[in-house]
Amino acid sequence: MSKKKHETPMLDELKKGPWPSFVKEIEKAAVKSETANDTLGQVEKSYRTRRGYWKHGGIVGVLGYGGGVIGRYTSLPEEFPGVKFFHTVRINQPSGWFYTSKALREICDIWDKYGSGLTNIHGSTGDLVLLGTNTESLEAIFAEYSSRGWDLGGSGSAMRTPSCCLGPARCEWSNINTLEINYQLTQEFQDELHRPAFPYKFKIKTSGCAVDCVASIARADLSIIGTWRGKIQIDQSEVQNYAKKGMNINAEIVNMCPTQCITYDGKEMKIDDAECSRCMHCIAKMTKALRPSGERGATLLMGSKAPIVVGSLLSWVIVPFIKLEPPYKELKELIRKMIEWWDENSKPRERIGEVIEIKGMRSFLEYIGVPPSPAQVKWPRKDPFIFFKDEDFEKVFKKGKY
Amino acid sequence: MEKEELKNKIFEYMQKYKGKKKLKEKDVWKGVGEETGVPGDEVKKALREMIDVGKLMYSYGGGASSVEIPSEEYLKEKGLL
Repeated sequence: MSKKKHETPMLDELKKGPWPSFVKEIEKAAVKSETANDTLGQVEKSYRTRRGYWKHGGIVGVLGYGGGVIGRYTSLPEEFPGVKFFHTVRINQPSGWFYTSKALREICDIWDKYGSGLTNIHGSTGDLVLLGTNTESLEAIFAEYSSRGWDLGGSGSAMRTPSCCLGPARCEWSNINTLEINYQLTQEFQDELHRPAFPYKFKIKTSGCAVDCVASIARADLSIIGTWRGKIQIDQSEVQNYAKKGMNINAEIVNMCPTQCITYDGKEMKIDDAECSRCMHCIAKMTKALRPSGERGATLLMGSKAPIVVGSLLSWVIVPFIKLEPPYKELKELIRKMIEWWDENSKPRERIGEVIEIKGMRSFLEYIGVPPSPAQVKWPRKDPFIFFKDEDFEKVFKKGKY
Repeated sequence: MEKEELKNKIFEYMQKYKGKKKLKEKDVWKGVGEETGVPGDEVKKALREMIDVGKLMYSYGGGASSVEIPSEEYLKEKGLL
């Protein structure tokens, strides 16, 4: 048993109130872990001095793998010896983050044996993250987890562990089988996930609809978002029920529609489906009255990233509609082409969205073989120059326009 | 070219750039491929066999990954020395 080593008046403030506290959880782990105990001390010192003491990177990992372990160390090893090494291990999560309690106990038992006992379920990457172990334990940790069917996730310049929303397992709005797509892509890109050979990271996230519960549009180089091609079916009696229960349909639905394709005269709701961008706002608000119909598939968007090399980006449309059915051959081939183009055209540490911005959509679309479409226009062009190629003129002359 | 000979060429290539340039896997496939005339896929296979036995290793810094010749410390830690 480990006694509390450090006075933590500032951290103690974060234990107050009715909400969960990470300090309470670290304190629980600190009862039997020196690493967790010194984590408290170091975090308290960081709060007091207003600076961080973690260093990260370097050469740690398991033999043959280029990712899944992120080296982390304290810059104050004499003061906090328990966190001299504080490596992070990423475990590839199951699609949709479904676990049995038996599986979670197994994960935690192994982690208590080799690590600090602290976890991050889940990290923003999607992986199940284990926080704080030393270099000598890494091979043993990997052997224990892999012998029970778990694998490491991605890190560094690699395909990152794909993640998805819980999709059709629990959500009636899912237009695609996000769980199966995620599993298939994870299997397809195993080599790229464990052997970092890309210019930089590449993330795939799949959402069943435009509500986008995994925030793929803001966090993934490739965002796969479920959509539909038919009309939105309207149950007018349920629309009336919403109005009777106090919903201000014009304020909350009609005026919030981004394409202004909905009208409501107090009796009947109408939707101009040709103008609808399938954003899901109305459907998510009036779940009993509105429902998508017709063919289901996905929109592929690309480019989102956090601000590191250049500013942050949101994904934009590349493929307005693609049917997604097993074995997802078309999707897998398209992703490989996208990665090939990126690999050929980028400098180190450039994300695919940045390279598309630099080189232009034309070069990218030509390479991956996707025709241009108005849905791909992110914003109106700002310069008056259009660069034509010789074949563009030939095409026009062949059509006999001039 | 025999695989062992190719592996030696890869190792020589890595030594040439040691401490001068962080090499990505792809830099090695391309560079060794150009020097030896061996197709990139074969270089890739040989390189990965070297990584699997600890002759070379993956490294990470500033958010990007590279391939390196392992240090003695690393080899000791992996029980290879």
